[in-house]
Amino acid sequence: MPPADIHFEVNPSSGLPIYRQIVDQVLALSAGGLLKAGDLLPSVRQVAREAAVNPMTVSKAYSRLEAEGIVRRVRGQGMEILPPSQNGTLEQRQRQFRETIEPALHRARQLGLNQKQIREVISSLLQDKQS
Amino acid sequence: MNDSVLRVEKLGKSFGAKEVLRGIDLEMPTGGVLGLLGANGSGKTTLIKCALGLLRPTAGRATVFGEDSWDLSAAAKAKLGYVPQEVTSYPWMRVRQVIAYTAAFYPNWNQPFVDELCRRWHVPLEDRVGALSTGQLQTVGIVLALGHRPQFLVLDEPVASLDPSARRQFLRTILELLEDEKHTILFSTHITSDLERVAQRVAILDDGRLRFIGELDELKDRVKRLRITSRHVLPASFAVPGSLRCEVTGSSATVSVANFDEHLAAEMRTTWDADVAVHDLNLEEIFVEMHDGASA
Repeated sequence: MPPADIHFEVNPSSGLPIYRQIVDQVLALSAGGLLKAGDLLPSVRQVAREAAVNPMTVSKAYSRLEAEGIVRRVRGQGMEILPPSQNGTLEQRQRQFRETIEPALHRARQLGLNQKQIREVISSLLQDKQS
Repeated sequence: MNDSVLRVEKLGKSFGAKEVLRGIDLEMPTGGVLGLLGANGSGKTTLIKCALGLLRPTAGRATVFGEDSWDLSAAAKAKLGYVPQEVTSYPWMRVRQVIAYTAAFYPNWNQPFVDELCRRWHVPLEDRVGALSTGQLQTVGIVLALGHRPQFLVLDEPVASLDPSARRQFLRTILELLEDEKHTILFSTHITSDLERVAQRVAILDDGRLRFIGELDELKDRVKRLRITSRHVLPASFAVPGSLRCEVTGSSATVSVANFDEHLAAEMRTTWDADVAVHDLNLEEIFVEMHDGASA
């Protein structure tokens, strides 16, 4: 199977390390359904050439994704996306969620919301998703 | 270690009473790019020249491929490529002749690769070197340094005179060289966004000393700008351990720290009863914070 036709947007002058940008984009593409279980990521060389970044930086991103259980290395083929249920331990997934929500909570405090008011917002969001 | 391409130990260099390098220790293993950053006059070019044996150190030593830099064998030199800050060549020769002349010195000269680079970069082969623009001359310098696909490539501000598109072409060529993980590059430049693309490690020179050497990603993880907004006016005693720069106005402060971790942010939230927002910095901002912080 040929690799998925995806392209990473890399901004070298962002404060976020390039490998992190690639990791985040793979996570976002899987969450959005553009990358599905069984899809292959483009090769390290291809990504490095397209984005004009060091191939070792792309390797680092892929290794990180492998360590987090998002992809697995298939000999002779490349990096394959794993089904979501295998995407990391509960602890890892909770840590990722914590990293996402921390800045939002910070913003909430800046807006002067107290704990009860923040909980109300989160509860109503959770209910929206269930219905 | 035989694996080191470049090893610099306690290197010092003075010109008369002027001390330019004050004890540099630096090692480059095989494969990858080390970016060298530093303000004007911080000693970058002197360090490069000492490393290559173009200047004799006043203290300490430098080795390339395990050989003393001051006394490199022809075999070691054949594996070296160097683009100096200012390319000098023979003004009366045509570009094609300079290339042929240089090629004769290298047993491993790769003419098809050179032809490809000349085509890619529109090198005017029939022009005389003396009539070239600064940018064209620099391009020729790069072609001459890359022609034997050197295992160790040293670049001293190689792209200062290139236009953005030529610079990008140059970076792509450098990245292609790196694909086999056998080529090692020392890259000095003021263009931090280029380093962010190609360098895994950076060394920051400041007044003849190494301020930092390590992974670029680690540097970006460690150096952060914090905006602190307290519910009270911050006291005159307000200080953050390990801060590079600190500006306080009333109940808020902007602080750059060199060793950020979540623990530090949490501690500040409780100590100063404050909101702490953490901002990522790019390499240029990190350089400015470190440099201005040091001189403040």
